[in-house]
Amino acid sequence: MIEALGVTKRYGDLVAVNDVSFKAEAGEVVGFLGPNGAGKTTTMRMLTGFLPATDGTAVVDGHDIFDEPLAARRAIGYLPETPPLYPEMDVSGYLKYVARIKDVPRSGRKQAVERALERCGLSHVARRVIGSLSKGYRQRVGLAQAIVHDPPVLILDEPTVGLDPNQILEIRELIRDLAAPREGEPSHTVILSTHILPEVEAICRRVIMIHDGQKVLDDSMENLTRDGGRLEDVFARFTLRETGADAAAPEGGEEAVQ
Amino acid sequence: MRHVTAIASRELRSLFVSPVAYVVLSLFAVLAGFLFLASVLSFDANLAQAQQFQAFDFLRQLNLNDHLIAPFLQVMWIVFLILVPAVTMSLFASEKANGTEELLLTSPLTIWELVLGKYLAAAGFVTLLVGMLGLFCGIIFLYGEPEPLKTLSGLLGVWLVGLSYAAIGVFTSSLTRNQLVAFFIALPLILMLWLLSVFADLGGATGAVGSESGLSALLRWLSTSDHFQQLIEGLVDTRALAHFAFMIGTFLVLTKASVESVRWR
Repeated sequence: MIEALGVTKRYGDLVAVNDVSFKAEAGEVVGFLGPNGAGKTTTMRMLTGFLPATDGTAVVDGHDIFDEPLAARRAIGYLPETPPLYPEMDVSGYLKYVARIKDVPRSGRKQAVERALERCGLSHVARRVIGSLSKGYRQRVGLAQAIVHDPPVLILDEPTVGLDPNQILEIRELIRDLAAPREGEPSHTVILSTHILPEVEAICRRVIMIHDGQKVLDDSMENLTRDGGRLEDVFARFTLRETGADAAAPEGGEEAVQ
Repeated sequence: MRHVTAIASRELRSLFVSPVAYVVLSLFAVLAGFLFLASVLSFDANLAQAQQFQAFDFLRQLNLNDHLIAPFLQVMWIVFLILVPAVTMSLFASEKANGTEELLLTSPLTIWELVLGKYLAAAGFVTLLVGMLGLFCGIIFLYGEPEPLKTLSGLLGVWLVGLSYAAIGVFTSSLTRNQLVAFFIALPLILMLWLLSVFADLGGATGAVGSESGLSALLRWLSTSDHFQQLIEGLVDTRALAHFAFMIGTFLVLTKASVESVRWR
């Protein structure tokens, strides 16, 4: 599980992320929503330890990201917006390397790589050079990289951006599959950022919405869509409200989007 | 330490699947071969001339170490000036350009492990180059009797110069995401450090910096050229060794700060 405790990021006077707190339990798939520039990536980067929070902290699988940074990072699998790939390496060599720097013990490394390859549907391209793979496959390698050390927490930053509809479906399927516990394996916590709403409806059970660096909504998917409500309306209501650009947004959310 | 070797071995493997390593190695083989041939021919010409004019004093002084191996190794700093930054320029810059920096900095690695891993890879490559020079020197041992220790001291000089250039190259690579920029910052930086002793001499000549003053002595110690020259001449001095240790250490500390600075922004 992962818990953010008032994480804040300031760049001089600019507040990119302001006092965001939330908690995600094991087995949960949380959609992290917000318009472009809302602070999603910055928040994720703080949770993963890539950027230090100006204020606040986060606890990952019981490890504080400031007090025990290495243990916290070991507990996270992270797929950044651009998958961090070395184009000149082959897929299994790359995953072996990631397993090594993520502290997978030598004896379990081969097995860990094979498991990640299999779960991401990469077994048949294991020997291919990453630079020669299609975008969809590269994204899968990015996901395999995030799960190779079997971390309890997965943080995925826009995992389906730039993919074609078929690939999007495949990746979604994969994410849903990852969150579901398998026999003998603990379930994962997945935090997924996106601004593609159908994606959230398809795979997330909970939604956290962030706008102008602030958390504006944290509710279950069930509650949000109970009375036939649509996520688009909710999104418009919360993300247009505070900019002051359109005061009529709460009622006319749909028009406001268009 | 496990992480250091993991990073170093990945780096070396990537270097050898990219053309860079092969371009640098073949360029080096050709250049070193040409320079070696030039040194041998010039030694031969010296010998012939000395015999022709019966310059017995000179003939008595003429030896393989000072008149063949030393001139050969002496020019290597210029070759390394170009080749070592060409190898190191990608080390950090390409991580930034590829986005793999995010993988490294969110992995359970310390920044020191990262920096040392990268440096170890560069140092390994430099060692390979110096090993090739060792082969050339070995050829002379097949046909003559140079002093082994003096030869080793020269090779040690070249190796240490290569290692300190590698540290500078690793540092400049960490400053930017553009490999060429990293290369072209490393070049003048190395040259400047090399030429510090010239500034000290100039200062001494114009009286601006007294030639015996502390500042000029410091400049001379910081400058790589005098220490390199001593080692080539077979003089292994702790002051020289301290100079190279200082250079490598300083630039690795700077690299660590530069890599870490992503987190301050």
